Amino acid sequence: MNKEETFKKLSDAIVSCKKDAVVAAVQSARNEGIEPAEIIEKGLAAGMNEVGVMFERGKLFLPHVMMAAGAMEAGVSLLEADMPKDAAKKKLGVIVNGTVEGDVHDIGKSIVSTMLQSAGFEVHDLGRDVPLQDFIDKIKETDAGMVGMSALMTTTLPGQREVIEMLKEQGLRDKVKVMVGGAPATQNWADKIGADCYAENASEAVARAKELLL
Amino acid sequence: MATEHMLRMGDGKRIFLTKEQILADLKEGMADAVDLGSIPELSGDELDKLLEIITMPARMVGVEPGKEVPVTHDISTIRLDGDQGNSGVGIPSSRLVGCMMHERAFGADSMELGHIDYSYKPVKPVVAQEMQAMEVCQQNMIIPLLYGAMPNMGLYYTPDGPFENPGDLMKAFKITEAQESMEHAAKHLTRDIVWIMQRMMSAGADGVNFDTIGAAGDGDLYASLHAIESLRKQYPDIYIEAGMAGELVLGLHGEMAYDGVTLAGLWPHQQAPLVAKAGANLFGPVVNTNTSKSFAWNLGRAVTFIKAAVKASPIPCHVNMGMGVGGIPMLETPTIDAVSRASKAMVEIAGVDGI
Repeated sequence: MNKEETFKKLSDAIVSCKKDAVVAAVQSARNEGIEPAEIIEKGLAAGMNEVGVMFERGKLFLPHVMMAAGAMEAGVSLLEADMPKDAAKKKLGVIVNGTVEGDVHDIGKSIVSTMLQSAGFEVHDLGRDVPLQDFIDKIKETDAGMVGMSALMTTTLPGQREVIEMLKEQGLRDKVKVMVGGAPATQNWADKIGADCYAENASEAVARAKELLL
Repeated sequence: MATEHMLRMGDGKRIFLTKEQILADLKEGMADAVDLGSIPELSGDELDKLLEIITMPARMVGVEPGKEVPVTHDISTIRLDGDQGNSGVGIPSSRLVGCMMHERAFGADSMELGHIDYSYKPVKPVVAQEMQAMEVCQQNMIIPLLYGAMPNMGLYYTPDGPFENPGDLMKAFKITEAQESMEHAAKHLTRDIVWIMQRMMSAGADGVNFDTIGAAGDGDLYASLHAIESLRKQYPDIYIEAGMAGELVLGLHGEMAYDGVTLAGLWPHQQAPLVAKAGANLFGPVVNTNTSKSFAWNLGRAVTFIKAAVKASPIPCHVNMGMGVGGIPMLETPTIDAVSRASKAMVEIAGVDGI
């Protein structure tokens, strides 16, 4: 089997969301002498990207993404022995995420948290109806590099702006990237309040976070 | 310089586009629906008609004579007395007054009585009060009056309910446990809806409205379909209206099925036959508005999806039209230019049976 076929097999195993299939594909790739970094980047991560695309198109859903992420983790664990110490466990960045005060919508924000987590970020999900000061406190506590704020109502949207102002007052704005989302949020709104990015959906949130933090 | 026409972005902002730009957006929105739903495109004539509707000079437009359709109202009287950012206009009025105003002043062809909390679960402790309200309304009204609320399966999870929150379980990678939690919640939701409606039917309700089915994902739809099935068996003449929460059934469980069909990932044209099979009389399809796209893009997309749903549906379709759905911009009080144009397009092009 040439390398491209092996990478395809690894990617397909991730898309199948089956841990056994991923472990078998990783073992087979190891036996072929392929470098762990290549197995991860060109095989497993490529598969996760495909999962992300299918998620965005409504072909796969959160449990499938989680199963795929779990399978990927099992595959990466197998490779840990062949890799420099801690390289496999390194997090991409720390993100605080939550739905702003007054807004009880939870699902979209939770999906974003889970997708970010699956992509390799350390995510601190504050939940819904989060007092604005809690965002600031958690950012300080975790030394987060990004804060994500969701709002599903036009009446709670201004909470996103208030947190940005609080970050400025606390001298944190330059250290923390701000991502906003939720049905009434738009790129125009993000520009208006001085957020670093707007994400329309969970896949886009992952892409924007990678752009800003990596 | 080409003439520009006023329309809006999906967040309500006014924009001005030429006919060519509007047509391009209509086609792009249509293509998105065709791609996602694997459904047919609109014809050239239909696109021309959409363009004509959008560029009509009047602020408000209406359907051609003879093409009028019935209007069914959800959200109950909350749109009148609500004053806490919940789409209401803050006019103090009793629910009886609100229902009668819809019947006699607003031209509603059917109406719904609902509780301020507007989910089935919180109705349980106040069901006797709801039965009394239904009886009084029925004594004063002529049009069909349904009892309605949101299935809202999220209320069955912590911190609002007895079952562990699948969102928390997912984050801990406990997928099987999350799925089991949803299955338990779905059983309780079905049981509660049926229990409430048994009482509301004994108080004279003409039927039931399921408002925003699927808001908590595929489990929410699963529970609602089973409740519809059960109510149809118990009350052969009950009038059942089944309206969706969004265009796509989110697969929070991912593997729940009804009548052999996996519920996750269903688009409106795939939802309609299932809802009919369960026993509903009326299907309320939804297409979500993208706030970052123009009204033309959203309307082209919404009409394409709804036309396919109407074609696939064995029962009448009353499309959801309002804030953030049906091509209408996301504003607390949707603007009449967009509402009337989108409604006209849904009736004259998508062929809906009602709104």
